[in-house]
Amino acid sequence: MKAVIDVRNPRRPSSAMKKAIGDNMIPKPLGFEKGLELVKRAGFDGVELWLGDVPWFQMTTTDAEVRALRRAVESAGLVVSNVSTGLHWASPLSARDPQVRARAVRIVEREIETAVLLGADAILVVAGLVTEEVPYNEVYLRCVDVLKPLGEQAARAEVKIGCENCNSEQRFLISPREFSQFLNDVNSPAVGIHLDVGNIHDTGFPEQWIEMHGRRITRIHVKDVLRHRGRSGDQSVYTNLFLGDNNWPAIRAALSKVGYDGWLVAEMEARYRYAPDQQFYDTARAMDRIVSGQLA
Amino acid sequence: MIISRRTFLGCAAGAVAVLRLPPVHGIAARTALSTVRPSTILDLEEHCCLRESLVGYRDALGALGPARREVLIVPGVLGTPPWAARRIAQALDDGATVILESGAGFASAREFRAHRAALDEYFQIRIEEPVPLWPARATPYVDFTWPSAVRIRDFTRAIPLASQPGEIIARAGDCPVALARRVGVGTLVFLGSPVGPALRAGDTQAHGWLADVVG
Repeated sequence: MKAVIDVRNPRRPSSAMKKAIGDNMIPKPLGFEKGLELVKRAGFDGVELWLGDVPWFQMTTTDAEVRALRRAVESAGLVVSNVSTGLHWASPLSARDPQVRARAVRIVEREIETAVLLGADAILVVAGLVTEEVPYNEVYLRCVDVLKPLGEQAARAEVKIGCENCNSEQRFLISPREFSQFLNDVNSPAVGIHLDVGNIHDTGFPEQWIEMHGRRITRIHVKDVLRHRGRSGDQSVYTNLFLGDNNWPAIRAALSKVGYDGWLVAEMEARYRYAPDQQFYDTARAMDRIVSGQLA
Repeated sequence: MIISRRTFLGCAAGAVAVLRLPPVHGIAARTALSTVRPSTILDLEEHCCLRESLVGYRDALGALGPARREVLIVPGVLGTPPWAARRIAQALDDGATVILESGAGFASAREFRAHRAALDEYFQIRIEEPVPLWPARATPYVDFTWPSAVRIRDFTRAIPLASQPGEIIARAGDCPVALARRVGVGTLVFLGSPVGPALRAGDTQAHGWLADVVG
């Protein structure tokens, strides 16, 4: 029988979960290096770098410049937890236009390349976008088609592709079982799920997603969710940790159950209106409580 | 045989015979009902710009089994190399139905100009520039009238047909996007809105349409 391959970081010996936060959270006036200092001071272990979302990390950023980003991260006493991108919202892997699809594939390839340069072993991909125009079945098949060869590329680079569950926004892979079938169809040990526990809203329970996907989880995004708002309202459905409806003791217990010891990555949509640096400190402390399990 | 563009249809049928299409049962009657013929897909390789369409036709035909009518399907056409034109000419000469599916909806302006010129010169099919069907208030389905009346998902952009001989067999709203034309003893079907991706996505009506074409 073929051994199950752990898609989480195989190179990290520690069994304790670590905390990271996205560089797209860094207040603009700070810039990258001062932002990293804030991330470190707040108590994070790493930083998630967002390709295309921040001025210092774009598709046009050269390899040499990416290496410089890594030096800056390490100089701040941090590591890169993973590479993410929001570029697939505008250029989806499921686009009908073959040229848009080619651009989307190139974005994933660049994520893989930069992950290697940055010393990270996981990337986030928003796989597919169902719209009124491009229906579900088309999206599903194109994503499976495109992720098979990308999975092979990622495996060669020793990087895992984590498809994020952006359930409401993507209108795609809404249930954990559906997502599991999707990963079965892609059938690549290098392709798993970047599980966002805030994205499940009122369509399920993140702890059940964790149980179901277990060793296929590449990274965990953390934020809280106000289910009653729904996604289509004019107020953000997301909020800061412990202010929403997520059942954090249940989430923590599920993480223990499946033996997840990888990165927890803060992805906060709601930003502090004043003293934005305080959000880093508050988020890091809240994540410490999740890691320690002190949630009573 | 080296074929020039201008002589293509001469090779196909001696002369272009443009006839109003008979109903599907009329066409089937020309073929002995006991005859079982294969349907063939012509893979234009790098000149096919919608590979998913090719996969859609291939899988759908595999599920249908042998056809009663000889059908040659050319999915996702962008370029038309001479060898492909010769193959299409031969099929029409043999009395086949040829489905020529344009894949140029998303082509660059330069690619589209070449596509349009090739369609005109080889097949005397005259097309207009692609039109976006989205955004739309409701799904802009493509309504086929031949060989059966079915409604198939659009593919975001459609290639309208100019006024010309032949029968319009599908429209997206008021826009004519597919045509069938008798060429000698064969039938040439041009699709300006691809059906292959809908086949691949499991569109039941698209499968029904193909089954009716194959006979």
